Amino acid sequence: MALIGKASPEDMNLHPFHYQWAYDLYNQAVRNTWFPHEIALKEDLDDWQKMTEEERHAVKFLMAFFNPAELIVNRSIALGIYPYLKSPECHLYLAKQMWEEANHCVAFEYVLETFPFDREKIFNTHLEVPSMVAKEAYINKYMKRMTEDTLDITSTEGKKDFIRNLVATNIVMEGIWFYSGFMVALSFRQRNQLRNFGSMINWVLRDESLHLKFGINLVHNVLEENPELLTEEFADEIKSIVVEGVDLETAYNKDLFPNGILGLNADYVNQYVQYVADRRLEELGLPKVYNATNPAKWMSTATDVFELVNFFEAQNTSYEVDARSHTDKVEDKPKEE
Amino acid sequence: MSLHITKRDGTKELFNADKINKSIERACIGLTNPIGMVTQIATDTRLTLYDGITTAEMDQATINASVQNIKEDTDYDRVAVRLLLKTIYKQVVGDYDADDADDLSKKHRESFMNYVKDGVSANRLHPDMVKKYDLEELANTLRIERDELFQYAGLDGLLNRYAIKDLNQKPLETPQYFFMRVAMGLSYNEDNPTEWAKKFYHKMSKLEYLAGGSTNLGAGTVRPALSNCFLMEVHDDMGHIAKSVADVMLLSKGSGGLGVAMTKLRSAGSPLKSNFGGASTGPTPFAKIMDTAIRAIQRGGKKKGALCFYMENWHLDFPEFIDWKHNAGDDYMRMRTANTAGFLSDEFMKRVHSADSWYMFDPAETPDLNELYGEAFSQRYCEYVEMAEAGKLRAFRKVPAQEQFRHILVALQGTSHPWIVWKDSINLRALNNNTGTIHMSNLCTEICLPQDRENVAVCNLASLNLAAHIASKEVNWMKLEESVRLAVRQLDNLIDINQLPIPEAVKSDRENRAVGLGVMGFSDAIEQLGLSYDSESAWDFADRIFEFISYMAIDESANLAKVRGSYTHFKGSEWSKGKVPVDTLSVLEEGRGRPLTVSKESRHKGLDWDILREKVKGGVRNATLMAVAPNANIGLVAGTTPGIDPRFAQVFARNKISGKYFDINHNLVKDLKNMGIWDKVKGDIVEQQGDISNIDLIPPHLKEIYKTSFTTSPFAFIEVAARAQKWVDQALSRNMYLETRDIDETMRIYQTAWDKGLKSTYYLHMKPRHTAEQSTVVVNKAQKIGKLGFGAIKRSTESSISPQPFSAPLQKGLEIPKESPILVSEKAPAQEALNASNVVSVAKKETLEKQTKPRGFVSLESLKESVPVAVADDKPFVCPIDPAEREQCDSCQ
Repeated sequence: MALIGKASPEDMNLHPFHYQWAYDLYNQAVRNTWFPHEIALKEDLDDWQKMTEEERHAVKFLMAFFNPAELIVNRSIALGIYPYLKSPECHLYLAKQMWEEANHCVAFEYVLETFPFDREKIFNTHLEVPSMVAKEAYINKYMKRMTEDTLDITSTEGKKDFIRNLVATNIVMEGIWFYSGFMVALSFRQRNQLRNFGSMINWVLRDESLHLKFGINLVHNVLEENPELLTEEFADEIKSIVVEGVDLETAYNKDLFPNGILGLNADYVNQYVQYVADRRLEELGLPKVYNATNPAKWMSTATDVFELVNFFEAQNTSYEVDARSHTDKVEDKPKEE
Repeated sequence: MSLHITKRDGTKELFNADKINKSIERACIGLTNPIGMVTQIATDTRLTLYDGITTAEMDQATINASVQNIKEDTDYDRVAVRLLLKTIYKQVVGDYDADDADDLSKKHRESFMNYVKDGVSANRLHPDMVKKYDLEELANTLRIERDELFQYAGLDGLLNRYAIKDLNQKPLETPQYFFMRVAMGLSYNEDNPTEWAKKFYHKMSKLEYLAGGSTNLGAGTVRPALSNCFLMEVHDDMGHIAKSVADVMLLSKGSGGLGVAMTKLRSAGSPLKSNFGGASTGPTPFAKIMDTAIRAIQRGGKKKGALCFYMENWHLDFPEFIDWKHNAGDDYMRMRTANTAGFLSDEFMKRVHSADSWYMFDPAETPDLNELYGEAFSQRYCEYVEMAEAGKLRAFRKVPAQEQFRHILVALQGTSHPWIVWKDSINLRALNNNTGTIHMSNLCTEICLPQDRENVAVCNLASLNLAAHIASKEVNWMKLEESVRLAVRQLDNLIDINQLPIPEAVKSDRENRAVGLGVMGFSDAIEQLGLSYDSESAWDFADRIFEFISYMAIDESANLAKVRGSYTHFKGSEWSKGKVPVDTLSVLEEGRGRPLTVSKESRHKGLDWDILREKVKGGVRNATLMAVAPNANIGLVAGTTPGIDPRFAQVFARNKISGKYFDINHNLVKDLKNMGIWDKVKGDIVEQQGDISNIDLIPPHLKEIYKTSFTTSPFAFIEVAARAQKWVDQALSRNMYLETRDIDETMRIYQTAWDKGLKSTYYLHMKPRHTAEQSTVVVNKAQKIGKLGFGAIKRSTESSISPQPFSAPLQKGLEIPKESPILVSEKAPAQEALNASNVVSVAKKETLEKQTKPRGFVSLESLKESVPVAVADDKPFVCPIDPAEREQCDSCQ
């Protein structure tokens, strides 16, 4: 059994499971299902009126990035990841992930429609601001290769292309850029602004954490099955893909915070980017590059511990949707291979 | 880049690190490691500054910097409290000499009188606040030092939520003014208002008890809507439905949460009374109107309305009701804001037990069921069942009782609704049942009061802080008695001052004088006593302390009755027959036809209930006396665990309207510090999301005491509530916490709750199976799945890629620092508290003094040229910037 390659008819059998982790992640993803309309934004609109221009710019800039970014991730999965995977468990998971990306896009859309934004302007930002254009070009570069006829997934070079694209999309875009954006978005709630938007980000972050878990699992399993990829040169190349991603994000954050707002400025966010990038590098089995400490210690409150919600005060974001009226029967449970 | 500060008048000045460090220094006086803390806060603050930051933002930045370090040491909490207080004092009291404690205390007293007088002339405070009191004496009663009792989240919550503010959101009161306002606002009608206000003030300002939220908002103001809870039922006619919508809006505006019973509304498809052949749409669309209405209301101008719908589960539309809180589906059939609770009968629970069928009816055809309880209900219900089977009813549904129970529990697990409340436990045990049937509970499932067309039930709340009555592992019973008596008096006073927006509520409030004295800090207290929530001794403690509070509260109400008279409907009540709450256990058992599985004995020696039984025959002042509310807000203000809740976890985040707060168990921190292991385990505690059970260094006896809500047996939650419920005449908000998602197990748990005589349960918190990736702790998913990835490559130049043991993180445009940044300002008061670990910094002082840098702890300028570069193995070795890490760095010492 192999994770990547050309799909054969046997690959359409879900059983027996070969990649239990992917099936488990699929099940958890289903439980995590949520809908944007569960979040009411009225109070956030009141906050918006009180925010400074710099703060508003940051929110709009984030939205301008995230809205299309969710769709780009979907394209990358559809064109660069899904077609080259043989495992049906992984296909199940990716189908759910793609719905989640769509859901995130619609969630941001919901915010865009509710807030008094110049939507045209926001929609165009990612086409006009050079630092954002560069981030998209970076992703597209790796994705484009995956769509070319010359790509042979059974060759070593083809597998390398697969990993390159996977790292760019999943590790860099979802695992570094998004994480940094979430920290910025959550910082507003930390100052008691945009609390409901914060709840939405909590949900998005919960989903993205799972995406990342899947991506890391995928990278490692592919590497394990294809030891010919484990060369110094390729490791260095992957590291430089991550570093390039960090450099792009550094430039972008300067546009996000040309000056600064209470609690945040570009240097601060970039220190966080480096901190997260180090974590991703280590998760790939690569050494740290930046040795940065986490400047956002308050993130322990925002994401690291269980949250106790007074239901009539805020949206509870820890509910899961697959409650069953009967105890799991044995046959419902996936069997280990 | 140079930094400028925008001052309050709009002018700019160059950032002066010295100034800000000075104020942090003051906030650290008397704490264990002032120098380390000042350094940390100053460094963290500096990271977040930007050119043009305002003075107010700067204050906030230092507070935020302290707050984000609370997980490192609870002392940071005290610093944050002091920094926040300083901003309040400046705004309310005005400028004062920060180095002279007496100056502040004096000005704090002096400006109190202006606060009251200005408040009255601005038409914010009630004229009686000036007329009835000796303001100078009250000013001299204020104890500003009690502000030190707060924890940061509580102080911030109090200021955000309860403090009176001007049009620009600037606070008009300090915490002590706030307590005094509430105390005064409840003493107008006393013979000697000043004396009683002083007594109430002392209790509240020492956090020994606190008034309910609405009272905190409205007391002393020109709009004293002081009640927390309203319970109303909607009758089955359009006029009353429309009136109810209006009533919901008016009651929400005043503040307070609502319970609204929908059981009487005919079901969907039921013929309309008018003869046009039309059919009713059922309760759902009408509920939706109210759900929408409360969104439009800002309760007390500060939070949106809150409401819980109640429905009995024999209603034909109950299956639809169960799904009201589902997150998907037709939005017109979903309640986005309101909560829901099912009102279940003993008949139903017995049918679940015996696996019988359950029938649902259209209330238009079974109008009397809603009014009946106990055996009378069962009898009538069975008659309707026969009629249904005989085809004599227009409509009915029949399902296995267990299936409906499962349906409820599945919804509860997925959406935390509907809550489960038991009709017969409530009604059979009621001492006030001479005024009609209780059709529902309230927003927080702790109130048990009857209502009808003429009466919207009202309850007035206050809560004792048990933890404040524990010292040296002992309960101070005398102090507790004093607290109970004063709290009951204060609650009774409230009723004659209270202004309510609808006549049905006024009537019920005045005629029943219902109050609900609760407790908070139960877990906090048992931790201090060294007991585990999950133990027989904790349950006995609950039994004992609730018996005592119940006794004293009833006794005080009987005392008040002697002077002030009994409540209007006292005659005919169970009280008038010499019954006290514990006597009604047997009534419930008889009505149910089976014994309760809770121990019935008393655990408190020396309370003679017979004397009290005789006394209450002669009169009580209040129809009800106790109800244990969740206290999610005032528990926070008091810095203790809310209600009878367990610790959610040893560290967790509290998501509140006033902000998201990091909650850390101060008792645990104290114990771990005493053992000398706090610093070693604090990181693990966050990583383990507040569950210490897998941390090897922590000894088993502490693990037993400090469990999380998900590692405590759910049966312990039930037992604590059951023991307390014996003595409490109303009910308790019993939050439930479950790790299991097994529905059969969940059924057993809720059946046990019923067996033990609980009247209600509140939210069900499920343990999340998956949470977002943590940010501040080490995460390596590859390691977790045992994969090396690129790490498996055998490197030719292994050493060149190994990470440096220490190196400087990117830091605010800094050069690599060259010398220790731990500068000690000469006049730093912190210096007096120096201990051995600071010796090195003292030694450095001499060199530092020669520098002409702006003095202060961590001015950036000084950082720039002041971190040493140690040389190890001819590799450049750079000291860490983070002061916490630096403490462990040899080359700095």
